[in-house]
Amino acid sequence: MNAALLAAYAVEVHAESGTPWVLLLAGPAGAVAVYWTLFRYYRNTDKSHSFERETLIEAMPVTGQDPKIDTVRGTERREVRGNNVSEHRQRVQRLP
Amino acid sequence: MTAHGSAPEPPIADTSTAQQREADAGTPVVDTANAWLDDGVNRCARCGSTEIQLRVSTGHLVCLFCRHEWTEAHIEPLVAGEGSLRDLTGTVIASGATDLVADDGMLTMKCSGCGAEVVVNTAEATSSRCHWCRHLLTVNEQVPNGAVPDAVLPFSVTRDQAVEHIKLFAQKRRTFAHRRFVKEFTPGNVVGVYLPYMVVDSNASGDVHGVGEVETRQYTRGTGDNKRTVYDADVHRVERHVDLTVDDLTLESSTERAHMNAFVNTNNVINTILPFDTKNAVQWNASYLVGYTSERRDADVAALVPELEDQLLSIVRSQVQSSVKTYDRGVRWEGERLEVHGTRWVSMYLPVWLYSYYHDEGGTPMVHYIAVNGRTGETMGSVPVSQWRLVTAALVTGTVLESIVIAMLGLW
Repeated sequence: MNAALLAAYAVEVHAESGTPWVLLLAGPAGAVAVYWTLFRYYRNTDKSHSFERETLIEAMPVTGQDPKIDTVRGTERREVRGNNVSEHRQRVQRLP
Repeated sequence: MTAHGSAPEPPIADTSTAQQREADAGTPVVDTANAWLDDGVNRCARCGSTEIQLRVSTGHLVCLFCRHEWTEAHIEPLVAGEGSLRDLTGTVIASGATDLVADDGMLTMKCSGCGAEVVVNTAEATSSRCHWCRHLLTVNEQVPNGAVPDAVLPFSVTRDQAVEHIKLFAQKRRTFAHRRFVKEFTPGNVVGVYLPYMVVDSNASGDVHGVGEVETRQYTRGTGDNKRTVYDADVHRVERHVDLTVDDLTLESSTERAHMNAFVNTNNVINTILPFDTKNAVQWNASYLVGYTSERRDADVAALVPELEDQLLSIVRSQVQSSVKTYDRGVRWEGERLEVHGTRWVSMYLPVWLYSYYHDEGGTPMVHYIAVNGRTGETMGSVPVSQWRLVTAALVTGTVLESIVIAMLGLW
């Protein structure tokens, strides 16, 4: 059973019984976190040159426009769907 | 050119070669050939000795016979001139960065000391000793096989300093390292390598568009266990434009090093020790490489353009980020456009101290590197892990956490 299914099951049980069974996931989650953190500290598989910050860049003031196009009411989403504002290296559709 | 004592003759740019290439290819070529040097015997200007090498503590070339020191001219003024990067248009290529011609890399030089013919495999070295008269022969003319770049950035971190950096890096990662690595770790085996890079100046414009949301209200719905937080938000179409210049963006020009996949190699750790102070790079002189190894360039400008554009797009996205802070629910960028007005390409050897360790685990071989930037001392590496130790640490942590939770829930 993957972690998401386990979490969903625990939340459901929690809702029915009132007991915070979701806390039972702390053990497996902690184990995975420790493994992954240590692995990355040793292997540094996620590291690369931060050329966005460490290169000499001279930019003119950013220009643009922000027309309002819609309103969202009562959504449970905490952020815009597909938020990639900080994912500079994630390419999106290339315009001609 | 700066010099200590009497300096060699200043380089005189031979523009005929550059003009010929420009005419042939239709691309402006800046000739960076070091005109006062040629292939073969290059002597100390003071005493005539060919025993010349880099003195790391000063960054100068030193004659081992009379201790005369000098340095080659900085490459930047030669390729950049007086113009601003904002005026850069088209593609300008320095002569050491022009397209490669496939050959076997063997170069025969006639020793001017004794007349002997000495063969140098430029794929492996740019200098060789005459086996008859012991003169050191160097390759300085820009052979079109990638062995001679436009510029070189000399080492300023000494071997001893590099060994200390590597030792410290590995010591911090001892507990969960693979036992064979710990046993066989020999930091003294560090090698000084000049790795090939293409240093690119760019003048570009970028456009991005997408959708951003601004939260207008946060409230709860439902009661009791069904209570949940919901949000209202205004949705905007967000469009941004930025004009920018990027100075000395550094790209790997060895195809093997440029291939970064953390599952099959550890090239990303060498990439991580960038940047270098490339403004201090000097005109090519093979004597800088004496005592070090080097890897030659095998990628042309055209092959590196996609990577350049990818990095420029990332820079554009990074630059516009501060202008969309009002969108507290984030922005979903959907389209991006890049217009490159001009680029300037310079081929450069940059200094890296490398400790490499071959590790085969379960039939999957991998070379782990610990790399030290030969200028700044920045260190990054990959250490093979002991899987059973990692798993044990994870299981112990998980068990402790789980026991605490079970105790809290009163299940015992």
